[in-house]
Amino acid sequence: MRGAWESRDDCPVRMYRVSKSYIAGSAALRDVSLEIRKGEFVFLTGQSGAGKTTLLDLLFAAERPSEGQILMLGRNIARLRGSAIPALRRRVGVVFQDFKLLQGRSVEENVRITLDVVGTPRREARSRVFNMLRQVGLQHRRYHSPESLSGGEQQRVAIARALVGEPEILLADEPTGNLDPDLSIEIIELMLNAATRGTTVIVATHDHALLERYHRRTLRLEAGQLAEDEARASADL
Amino acid sequence: MKRVAVILAILGRSALRGLQSAAVTAAIATATIAIALFLVGAFGLVVVNMEGLLDRFGRDLQITAYLEEGYDANALRGLAGRVATVEGVYSVEVIDKDAALERFRAMSGGAALLGGLDGNPLPASLEITLDDAHRTNEGLEILTSALDGLPGIDEIAHGQDWIEGYARAVALVRVSGYALGTVLSLATLLIVANTIRLGVYSRKDELGILALVGASRTFVRTPFLIEGTLQGAIGGLLALLLLLGAFQVAVPQLQYGLTFFLGSTEPRFFEAGEIVRLLLGGAGLGLGGSAAALIGWRS
Repeated sequence: MRGAWESRDDCPVRMYRVSKSYIAGSAALRDVSLEIRKGEFVFLTGQSGAGKTTLLDLLFAAERPSEGQILMLGRNIARLRGSAIPALRRRVGVVFQDFKLLQGRSVEENVRITLDVVGTPRREARSRVFNMLRQVGLQHRRYHSPESLSGGEQQRVAIARALVGEPEILLADEPTGNLDPDLSIEIIELMLNAATRGTTVIVATHDHALLERYHRRTLRLEAGQLAEDEARASADL
Repeated sequence: MKRVAVILAILGRSALRGLQSAAVTAAIATATIAIALFLVGAFGLVVVNMEGLLDRFGRDLQITAYLEEGYDANALRGLAGRVATVEGVYSVEVIDKDAALERFRAMSGGAALLGGLDGNPLPASLEITLDDAHRTNEGLEILTSALDGLPGIDEIAHGQDWIEGYARAVALVRVSGYALGTVLSLATLLIVANTIRLGVYSRKDELGILALVGASRTFVRTPFLIEGTLQGAIGGLLALLLLLGAFQVAVPQLQYGLTFFLGSTEPRFFEAGEIVRLLLGGAGLGLGGSAAALIGWRS
């Protein structure tokens, strides 16, 4: 039930002259403006400290902008009440470099947590989790603990958890940072699949090999400023 | 409605998982609640039994008017009739000298005491009972001032002073119970709050992930409130069982002392309503402690 939340425009992510300072006089992001279309797959790149994580934190409402406006799915993050943040997050999936999985729970339980918070009945939740795990190729590992999985498998579980709620936006912060090249490709492919189904995907990475391999729109940050917004042909290799 | 039931089931499972994952600290908090409620409950038992005796004293309150030596036995009935007209008097029983002697002989050891005496040293008396509305200090004052003006009355005896002293003792025990209960409740609240706070810290990764996937503040907090309430309710139940066991073991052992305090009144355990209050008190302590633990905590 989205009601007033329904974003009717084609750009679920809009930033207008956004700046973010954690310490006075030192901006983590400066005057960033951008729009991302529905179903678009975008790389966010730049060196460490360039502002990639800050930008994702703002989109995820983990932080508020110091200046400027951010419209996520039609809602202004700068003015969003704290009590409205959970409802926004249910429409945004997030994936991190360190997976953030609960080690004491099974793979199935880790993925189901997304459905639990919205009160999905147990039987329906199990069915949806099974289908999601099948999409990421881990249905046979659903009763295993994440500790028993490889890094690539753990990241696939994290992606399954982010996507099982059918989010409109998927944010990934260095999702391949701990993985070898073959596994990195596997993970990016999963996210590309999500984009083809209409999910807007933003992937922060400083892995040039991925940028070269996938010719997708790339936003490059330098010292908190948007230095380049390169729209590329999507003829993936 | 179905969704609410599903969410409640999910939260309940989460609370049980929390209790399992921190079983030792949860057991310590539960035991603390049980001990605190046991002590408060023990005071409560003393108070309810003393209050029961006080009620019986009130019901049995009887005033005895002893008559002057040599008072005309034929005039006794007439005097009793006059006393019966005094405001608040429910009944008047005439005890002549012979009846008084018979009663005294019937008392344990009474016959032996009278063995060395010649004649009947006991005075005749009137035993006066007040109606329910006049079993008060005011009712007693009306009666004693009326009796003071009547001829032949030597002395008026009643247990009011003793009853008032006993009532003060009951009040003291009750106030001590409240004070002890307050101190123990506060200490228990702090212990439960700390236990829950430890649980919050030990599960901060899970709470962070819940926040990531859009769990509301209520969704994140409710399992901790359920945990605290469960600990409190179980603590209350343990306290109740301990009290019942102690009551059944201690009452026969302390029969002599209890007879001194309670007379012929049978010691009683808590009634259903009092048991429910004890259990609710435990659950309330647990809920209050967990709510205190979550004050100022942000998911």
